[in-house]
Amino acid sequence: MKNLNDYKDALDKCSHCSFCQATCPVYQESLLETYVARSRANLIKEVFLEQSMPITDRVKEIVDRCLLCSNCQQTCPASIPIPEIVISARYQIYGGKRQGMTQRFVMNRMMKNRGVKGVWKWASQIGQKAGVAPKELPDLSRKTFERLYPKTKYSPKGKVRAKVGYYVGCSTSSMFSDTGDAVMKVLMHNGIEVHLPKGLVCCGIPALGEGDIDTAKEMMVKNVERLSALEVDAIVTDCTSCGLTLKETVLSVLGPEDPAYEKAKGVADKIYEVTDYLNQIGLSRKPEYKDWKYTYHVPCHRDWSPDLVDAPRNLLKDASLPNLHELDDPQKCCGGGGSFFMEYKEVAQNIRSPKLEDIRRNEADTVLTQCPLCRIYLEDGLKGDKTVVHPIFFLAQAYGFLTTVKSKK
Amino acid sequence: MQVLTNIQQIIDELSKEIDPKLIVSEPEDLLAYESDATHDLAKMKPDVVILPNTTEEVSKVIKFANLYQIPVTPRGAGSGLAGGSTPIKKGLVLDLKRMNKIIEINRGNMTAVVESGVVLGDFHRAVEKQKLFYPPDPQSMAVCTIGGNIATRAGGPRGVKYGTTSHYVLGLEVVLPDGEIINTGGTCVKHSTGYDLTHLFAGSEGTLGVITKANLRLLPLPATHRTVIVTCETAYQASKIISEIIARGVVPAMLEFISLSAMTLLNKFLIEPLVLNGEAYLFLDLDGEIEQIRKEIEKVQKICNEMNVVDIRFEEDEEKSASYWIARSNLYPSLVSSVKKLIPEDVTVPRNLLSEFITEIGKIPTMDHISIGVSGHAGDGNFHPTIMLTDINSEIEQRAQEIAGEIIQCALKMKGGISGEHGIGLHKAQFIEMELGSRQLKLQKQIKNAIDPMGIMNPGKIWLEESE
Repeated sequence: MKNLNDYKDALDKCSHCSFCQATCPVYQESLLETYVARSRANLIKEVFLEQSMPITDRVKEIVDRCLLCSNCQQTCPASIPIPEIVISARYQIYGGKRQGMTQRFVMNRMMKNRGVKGVWKWASQIGQKAGVAPKELPDLSRKTFERLYPKTKYSPKGKVRAKVGYYVGCSTSSMFSDTGDAVMKVLMHNGIEVHLPKGLVCCGIPALGEGDIDTAKEMMVKNVERLSALEVDAIVTDCTSCGLTLKETVLSVLGPEDPAYEKAKGVADKIYEVTDYLNQIGLSRKPEYKDWKYTYHVPCHRDWSPDLVDAPRNLLKDASLPNLHELDDPQKCCGGGGSFFMEYKEVAQNIRSPKLEDIRRNEADTVLTQCPLCRIYLEDGLKGDKTVVHPIFFLAQAYGFLTTVKSKK
Repeated sequence: MQVLTNIQQIIDELSKEIDPKLIVSEPEDLLAYESDATHDLAKMKPDVVILPNTTEEVSKVIKFANLYQIPVTPRGAGSGLAGGSTPIKKGLVLDLKRMNKIIEINRGNMTAVVESGVVLGDFHRAVEKQKLFYPPDPQSMAVCTIGGNIATRAGGPRGVKYGTTSHYVLGLEVVLPDGEIINTGGTCVKHSTGYDLTHLFAGSEGTLGVITKANLRLLPLPATHRTVIVTCETAYQASKIISEIIARGVVPAMLEFISLSAMTLLNKFLIEPLVLNGEAYLFLDLDGEIEQIRKEIEKVQKICNEMNVVDIRFEEDEEKSASYWIARSNLYPSLVSSVKKLIPEDVTVPRNLLSEFITEIGKIPTMDHISIGVSGHAGDGNFHPTIMLTDINSEIEQRAQEIAGEIIQCALKMKGGISGEHGIGLHKAQFIEMELGSRQLKLQKQIKNAIDPMGIMNPGKIWLEESE
């Protein structure tokens, strides 16, 4: 992934059909063709492969102004991995030093040292002091998931139907332990034994967004080591972006020559988004019928499992929660995109506006989504008018489980 | 004539006319506008790109360009297949995608008024919400603009039953090459006032002015539809079935011919992939009331049985049925991605000569690294033979060009045409005289000169300059 030449064949496959115009949120915000994948790919080819154009500030802006949402790749008839190509271009330009020192320090320290007591609180304080923590982020200093679930194994009462490892992403670990708590309770309630390996770190996707492939790789190797040691039937994650990274991106980052590749592949085969997993294995116990209205925002990182998009729809319907009120455009991006919304505030807000309107028009007051970043950014936009939670949190509520952390800001 | 000697002067002067924010001129941005979907066949960076929001802004830009004799290339999605929006003479690219308002959908009159930058797929969704129907369906409909459709008289699979874009254009707002704004036609189905300028601008490929708004005719949305997939033993058998189906009074909404090699690329888009045991595949879509569709399906089945086809599949499930048409719309890009270079053809032949045409195409000698694909909207006689190059050198490219000419000769011999729906643009300019003849081509040039005496509008398109 570090060498753009690795993507020469992929770039050559671009037919210039321009179908990517149909789904690129950043292009649609300005309708300037420069920002659509066809043009980005062509520019990256000219600048980095053909070297017919220099790396200018404009090149940097075009490479930076991408959500890495992968909508283009999903639309592309040739499935060209534009997000990876953009990450690789960022690596070429910045060598992993795209953001300022403080930001990188905070990000890397906290994500590489998860599980160290107080690291989230510490990082959050430094971030705020330095003015790099955006107002949209919820407070990081609440009770972390690891404090709620300190053991490495949690068994259900009665017969064990399956054993899973739970990869807890940074968001769930730090600010959305409500999601983690719900996942634990729902899994165990359905006869599933949950393993929580120690020493997991960030999945690496924020580092990749910075083009910092080396840091991402370091994190990935650590996680692969820990996860591959588990004796489980499956490994679940509640976060669609962690899932994408663990299932697909890790293999591109490592490459088949890497000593950790085979283990990574073994882990990748077992990775499921938790809603998808539960939907496939089926609920052994169902909550009583509830007339609760809810709607569903589909995260962009949805293409790494064929059943992921509909998993919450099917699972909740099966769980006697039939009142899903679909959005007009459930798959339209919210504009968050990792740190994109901090870097390109106005663009992100313009992308988010129609989504918020769609949600506001909807009858339901609860918005479900599996992506913590979508949750942060939508909650920020909705200003308390509606609640955004993970589908499993919603399901846990239907079961009547008390959750220890309130979801709203 | 006043002369501007450099690009900065163009930008400075233009900035006096329109908001400078609408002007883009950094080389990285210009790169994005250097071609349409035929990037491998021709490209040229424009000097400046302008993104107007209103007809008035377009008018100001055109007046300016006319004054200084600067070439103007209007552009929709840049998804064309003839090089029509490739700014081969540099100058200004006028990107009309921000003019994307659906101004009116009139149910009582069954018409709509749209700005030319409206994306076709968005328009489909908007009218279908009101149980109305706008049939033209070029396969790039997720991105292509109605302005681009009109400028090329774009069609698609539904051509067989519903015709192409020009059949739905009732009136146009056009910015003429001197910057004046005119309104042609109207909003009524009947219109017999003077020359039919509406349908002169429809298909003018940006060479006579800029289409900024359109009045479009709508139909009632068909009650339902069904998809049928036929696996044929040979291409010849498939072509016989096509003419037989229509001869027996069944006119499908879509009737597509897919060759085995194309089907191999498309199978991955299908929810239920096909067993690839035939040389050719027919995708049919029948629309209307369900009772009538059932009767038509019976007829189709009877014909297929008589002809001993390999397999026939009737799709009831909406999602599965949609996947065939999604696959079909991915055909062109999938073909391009699978080879080094591809020359798309767009010939038409009378439907009764389909089998002869396919046989003739099969006789064209190719060479190593060249193959000819013959998929297309066979139901309306609009074939897209594609010349596919798996390697590139001067000999291969020269032979490919010759083959393009031979395919066109073949269609013309059968009283067909060189372009059914893509337009002539850049890539077929060398062939236009073969179809029109010298007198008619001269007449076309005279019309062009009468409307655009300075020759600023999309120069270098439709015919070769040498022949001027």
